[in-house]
Amino acid sequence: MLNGREGNAGPPRRREVSDLYATVLEVVKHYHGAARITRVSYGAGMPVDRLRVLVDRLVALGLLKSEELDGRPVYEITARGQEFLDVYWKLRGYVDGLERAPPDGRTGRRG
Amino acid sequence: MVSSMSETRVPRGGRVRLGAVEGDLRAEENTRIEADGKISVAGAARFDGNAEVVGDLECRSLTAADGTVRVTGNLSAAETVRGEDASIEVGGTFHARRTDVDRGLRVEGAATGEEFEVGGILEGGDTLSAAKVSVGGKFHLAGKLSARSVEAGGSVDVADVELESLEAGGLIHLRGGSVSRSIEVGGRFVAEESLTFGSLEAGGTAELKGDGKGGSVEVGGVLTVRGNLAFSSLEVGGLGSIGGDGTGESFEVGGKFHVGGSLRVSRGIEIGGSMDVKNDLTADRLEIGGEVTARSAVVAATAEVGGRVRTEIGLKATRVVLQRKSRAVGPIVGGTVEIGDKARAEDVYGDAVEVGEKAEVRRIFAARVRVRDGASVDEISYTESVDLDARAHVGASPKKVTALPTFPL
Repeated sequence: MLNGREGNAGPPRRREVSDLYATVLEVVKHYHGAARITRVSYGAGMPVDRLRVLVDRLVALGLLKSEELDGRPVYEITARGQEFLDVYWKLRGYVDGLERAPPDGRTGRRG
Repeated sequence: MVSSMSETRVPRGGRVRLGAVEGDLRAEENTRIEADGKISVAGAARFDGNAEVVGDLECRSLTAADGTVRVTGNLSAAETVRGEDASIEVGGTFHARRTDVDRGLRVEGAATGEEFEVGGILEGGDTLSAAKVSVGGKFHLAGKLSARSVEAGGSVDVADVELESLEAGGLIHLRGGSVSRSIEVGGRFVAEESLTFGSLEAGGTAELKGDGKGGSVEVGGVLTVRGNLAFSSLEVGGLGSIGGDGTGESFEVGGKFHVGGSLRVSRGIEIGGSMDVKNDLTADRLEIGGEVTARSAVVAATAEVGGRVRTEIGLKATRVVLQRKSRAVGPIVGGTVEIGDKARAEDVYGDAVEVGEKAEVRRIFAARVRVRDGASVDEISYTESVDLDARAHVGASPKKVTALPTFPL
């Protein structure tokens, strides 16, 4: 689960909405088109009732799509969802880089 | 307890002591089974709801449903261990050919098997060895991880690894080891110690706190290597740094990069943004869109500078091209040196040096020199020829010499 604490990088950061979206999208992606809500719930560390609201929102935004598999809904990440993840992680990378940059700014600012 | 030829049943809330079980074992909710030596189930063991097994348990297969099953000793299943909306906790070692648990699996001892598939959290207090490990959420392991492939939807936090491939959606944090084929991480990758790898691809951030040795490296956002890095190709979309030396075949940086030691690249270096190398830079080709700073830069073929290059000892190449309006601080040494219009350079050494219109150069030491209109050169020393356009400015008359001074580098 992506709780904002990476490695030994200090105390956990409070999960924001974008973190929750990314968490759910990553877990759904892991199941390659066969993500059941219960498994996503376990993977994302989120209760099913709260997760359903989030998943519905992600479907409405076009970041996830829902299909039926053996009579049960399963979820799959869309190209737009993957795009969200790409941007999300790139931004997290820059923010981490800025926070860890030495005072002379060698690795902290874009040249 | 109810026993028949084919099944031993422990009723809800039952407390029993078992040794060898001939057929299957079925335990209802809130049961506690103590091992009489060791519980050995010839068939399948099924637990409906929470249960505790005190001691070691061996069986052909185990299924836990809708609860948590805790085995205080070792758990060994010849075939499968399944958890249907359930968690399994093992105080000792764990073995199953195939493990598929919805909620979570926690093992305090060593874990072995062919395949682990866990929906939520996989946690190990010792080593884990398998062909394939797939975790939906979080995978934490205190000991060594040996596997062909490891995948996690959320995060992987492990000690030493010996893997073929490693893939995580969000975060990978490991101590060190080797991943012979590929590491793919959607988000952030951290290795605390030295790591060897086939390839490394990180969507967001990659941080190697020790040395890194591998093939291709692609990072979408930020790469930080505290030690030395050996690579075949390195592409960084954003920011990057290598604390020690960097050695590889090709190197491409879109943004900004810092090297604390030297950088040696057998083929080309392309810098879209800026790079500083504390010691020496060597490459076959060098293209700088932005800015490069190094103690020295030695390029076998062509060095092309679109922006600014700054060296202490010098930039040397068979062919040096300073493009229009570019700037070179420190000596430039050719081969041929082409200084574009309105470019500025300090001392320039070469076989043939051409200075473009309105360019400014301090001193030129070359066999052949050409200076175009509007260009300005303080001093020229040459051995063969000098060709000055009508409106070229030279501070002192060009001096023909029999031998040029020793070139830097």
